[in-house]
Amino acid sequence: MATAQVPQSSSAHAAQQRPPLWRDAGVLKWFAQIVALVLVVGTLWFLSTEAVDNLEAGGISPGTEWLNGPANIQLSEGIDTVPNSAGRALWSGMVTNLRLAVIGIILSTILGLAVGLARLSNNWLANKAASIFIETLRNIPVLVQILLWLTILTSIGALTPDRGPISGWLIISQKGVSGPRIFLADGFYQWAVLMGLAGVVTYFVRKSLNAKRDREGGTSQAGKATVAIMGVSAVVFWFINPIVGFLGTPLQAISDGWGGIPQPVMQAILSALAAGAAVNWIRRFLNSRRTPAGLAKLTDDDYFRMIFAGIAALLAVIVLWRWWPGLSSWIINSGSDFWQVAADKFGDGRGARPLDGMKPTVSEGRFANYGPTGWTLTVFAAALLFGLVFYTASFIAEIIRGGILAVAKGQTEAAAALGLSRSQALRKVILPQAFRIVMPPLGNQYLNITKNTSLAIAVGLSDVVQVGQSLANKNNQFLTVFAIWMLFYLACSLTISLIVNTINARLAIVER
Amino acid sequence: MAAIQDDLSMNLEAGGVAPDVRPDTPVKDPVQWMKENLFSSVGNALLTGVFVAVLGGLLWWFVGLVFKDSNDWDAVATNIRLLFSFNYPAEQYIRVWFSLGMLLGAVSLTAAFFDINPSMSVRKLGINASGLGATSLIVGVLPATPSGARIVFLIIGALFLAAGVGTLQAVDEPHKKFVSFPTMLLTFGLSVVAFAWLVPIGRNEFANGAVIDEGGFANPSTKIPWTIMMAILVGVYFLARAVKPMLPVKPVQTFLITFWVAGPAFLIFLVLRDPTFDYDRVLKVDIPWAIGFAVVGGAILYWLTKPMLGEIGRLVAVALLGVAVLNWVAAFFGWWSMLQKTRVSFLVLALFALAAPTFAGEKSARVRYVGAWVAVVALGHWLITGINTTSTLDIAAPPFLGGFTISLVIFYYVMLVSFPLGAIMALARTSTLPIFRVMATVYIEFIRGIPLITVLFFFSSMVSLFLPNGMDLSELAAIFIGYTLFSAAYVAENIRGGLQSVRRGQFEASDALGLTTSQRTIFVVLPQALRVSIPNLVGQAIATFKETSLIFIVGAFDFLRVANVSIASQPDYLGQNLVGLLFVSAVYWVFAYSMSRASRSLETKLGVGSR
Repeated sequence: MATAQVPQSSSAHAAQQRPPLWRDAGVLKWFAQIVALVLVVGTLWFLSTEAVDNLEAGGISPGTEWLNGPANIQLSEGIDTVPNSAGRALWSGMVTNLRLAVIGIILSTILGLAVGLARLSNNWLANKAASIFIETLRNIPVLVQILLWLTILTSIGALTPDRGPISGWLIISQKGVSGPRIFLADGFYQWAVLMGLAGVVTYFVRKSLNAKRDREGGTSQAGKATVAIMGVSAVVFWFINPIVGFLGTPLQAISDGWGGIPQPVMQAILSALAAGAAVNWIRRFLNSRRTPAGLAKLTDDDYFRMIFAGIAALLAVIVLWRWWPGLSSWIINSGSDFWQVAADKFGDGRGARPLDGMKPTVSEGRFANYGPTGWTLTVFAAALLFGLVFYTASFIAEIIRGGILAVAKGQTEAAAALGLSRSQALRKVILPQAFRIVMPPLGNQYLNITKNTSLAIAVGLSDVVQVGQSLANKNNQFLTVFAIWMLFYLACSLTISLIVNTINARLAIVER
Repeated sequence: MAAIQDDLSMNLEAGGVAPDVRPDTPVKDPVQWMKENLFSSVGNALLTGVFVAVLGGLLWWFVGLVFKDSNDWDAVATNIRLLFSFNYPAEQYIRVWFSLGMLLGAVSLTAAFFDINPSMSVRKLGINASGLGATSLIVGVLPATPSGARIVFLIIGALFLAAGVGTLQAVDEPHKKFVSFPTMLLTFGLSVVAFAWLVPIGRNEFANGAVIDEGGFANPSTKIPWTIMMAILVGVYFLARAVKPMLPVKPVQTFLITFWVAGPAFLIFLVLRDPTFDYDRVLKVDIPWAIGFAVVGGAILYWLTKPMLGEIGRLVAVALLGVAVLNWVAAFFGWWSMLQKTRVSFLVLALFALAAPTFAGEKSARVRYVGAWVAVVALGHWLITGINTTSTLDIAAPPFLGGFTISLVIFYYVMLVSFPLGAIMALARTSTLPIFRVMATVYIEFIRGIPLITVLFFFSSMVSLFLPNGMDLSELAAIFIGYTLFSAAYVAENIRGGLQSVRRGQFEASDALGLTTSQRTIFVVLPQALRVSIPNLVGQAIATFKETSLIFIVGAFDFLRVANVSIASQPDYLGQNLVGLLFVSAVYWVFAYSMSRASRSLETKLGVGSR
């Protein structure tokens, strides 16, 4: 917006009288940008060499090899509490973060929706209660809330084998909350594949039923057909799921094939992709400058842009071959591993039930850790989750209330005039429009909750930040740990933004 | 969006405020009101029942939590100074009071000179009072309340309820009569003073390792300063109202804005820290240098802002920049020595000179530009001298600041520095210059993608690695830098929203007037963009304030740490962190809630969203 407009002279005469070099806006702005770029890159370069020097002076060589070494730490909870390598410990922490984020997102959306609707209620008491909820919780820092919950929860009462509320089924104590758990058993993946096939069938049945409705009128039976097909398939496949066990072999073959790609080939493929992207960009750029009268005269600016695209591709190629050849082998290995994991889910002896269940067990005044037992929310996870959910729900409630209020009153009136009932108007007119308004800020809150799971360190829960911190305190590999944190959180943020943006793009009103 | 922001002005206590608070609504008969708002249909009545149960249960639980047998509220009362100012020596405490007094005086001056006088209708006052009274009565009746406190709650509840209902009954048309701001301010001041002197809140102190904990009235060291503070708050307000007609309003307003921007720095450096100035040296070296820069630099800038100066002005500015850069290069290689502040001043002067053509114009504009330069020289030299002089204050424990003060200090400096940084990045991100745009976008999106705590960890544990040998950074400075860089990305996004709302026609009109790009940005685009982004920026400020609590995790002695760790490990109050945390939540809540209330009224005043 705030732009430097280059005075574009259209006549050839004016073009010949270029100002002197030190007054030429086109040259000056590129000069300024390149100086700034060099300064920034130079500063970063200086700082990082300084850091590497300082580290090596202290006898530490920054790298990633230590990730395969022993961890020597114990995690408070997670998929692996006594990990055999540092990398595994960090991975366990990441899974804890992701679990908390997903549960937190679901719970805070439900709670926020309820409070937001209560805030709009005609009932005075519901309205007031909702506004007290919102105004109290969103004005207290989430960290303070988490610590308060921890203090409150740790003072409930000791864990004994016969502790209730429902002894043997639901246990609430100062160690945490435990209840029965339903989990995905070995047969699940085969069952899921069959359900996917049923889904494809359903899709076509629905399509033909809808087409029939459009042709002949009447009401479509698509909804009932969907329920019937999926329901029957779910039951039938529950018992015959082992028949897709043969899928293990082709998946194994893909894994082997991927793993067999030689590193230079992968490097060549990636380099070709980078070069292709640059060439494609330049071609599209030139096309955009093409007029019916031929190629428009290119400005300095245009040349600089093309040169930079080329340099970026060149840099990518240099990185691939010279500075970081490991990237290619990493892609080969992890691709192979991915298919290997998929292959392992099929094959012999995998014909068990898709789902299974367990009751909680209490042993020696503590909950059993991960294993064949019920689900357990330790007091640390519960404190973090309560804090995050209540804090975020207060924001979500305001967002939802705002979104519903922002739908113009005329829409309700128009729906009523068309003869829609109140619930129809709400479902088909108001909520879809409110959803469109609500989606971007809601996505922001989901991002916040994901980032805020890093507060786990305040309650001593082993998330990726806490594990990274304790590993780095032992081996001083702060650089690597920090890079891992960044990559993890950026990946989470990008995933959530991608999902939200996709939904947004599909919901957006098509204008002009 | 105006509809969303309406009716958020409810009060906290359950009981009293009708959802429709338009000033024209007359007071309804309570029975009819309940019929309309609570029992209008069967479903509604059912909902009322459910919410009575839920709210009652929550209140019961919360009262039980606050008055639990194991809670010792003396832990907070005794450690109140530790919570707010950490280890600040008691004999030097006058400086803290002095700072607080200056801030309160500035609040009063601001209210008087910016005509901030929120008034409250008698109806709302009556409803609030009766709501407070009703809640207090309910708390008094609940079984969870201890018997000692029960009577107090019942008496307070009865008094407030009687006062509220009485006011509503006695006054005709209470929604059309208003309680003015001076009255409210005076009442507030008198209540605080009366509370300090007349209520037996107990005499708690934590001095020389021993807990003094007697009954009776508050310490003189508490009640006397608070009386003075309230006298300042109220007195300055009435004084300012009295002298306002005699003073030019505009300069006073400018002074007040300057105070709110730079004043806290003054308080932190020169009052709380109080450097031991070597006055001989100050007279012989510091002041002459400052005057020299102010006069010579001012003259150069006055000449440079002459309209139509042409090429020669640019050459002079670039030459100044060359000299400034050369000074730093010389310092790096040790060619010649120079006071650090001279180098800084040269650099700032060169930047002012480079920006001079943008501010060229009539004589008054040029004088104002020179004035800004003189102010920057005065403030800068004074602060640099202050920083480089040792403090008179002798604090035994290592952290210079702690408790709530440190949260406020970090908040103030982060907002102060991240605002211009964010504005620059927002401009870079919306510019057409591709490298600037890409750099700003990458930076903003990168920072916004990662949690604050990782940034703080990075800076508190790794900054020393990145610095050349021999350089070091204090823990607090590292936290401050990390937090500022983090906050700037968010500020930039808020300002970008404002920049995008500036219409294309504004750009075209400024181009048609022949403004340069920087003139267009500074005088046309930015003011409009900032006005639009004020609500979001205030929201960002509130978030920043709340997130200062995170410095607890990286080991700073803010008051969350004091409440959760320090107090709970004192032998007298072992494990008393629940009371501390409840207290901390209350303090944070009061500050954040008043900020959000203030931002809402500011929004209404600016008419954002309705224009």
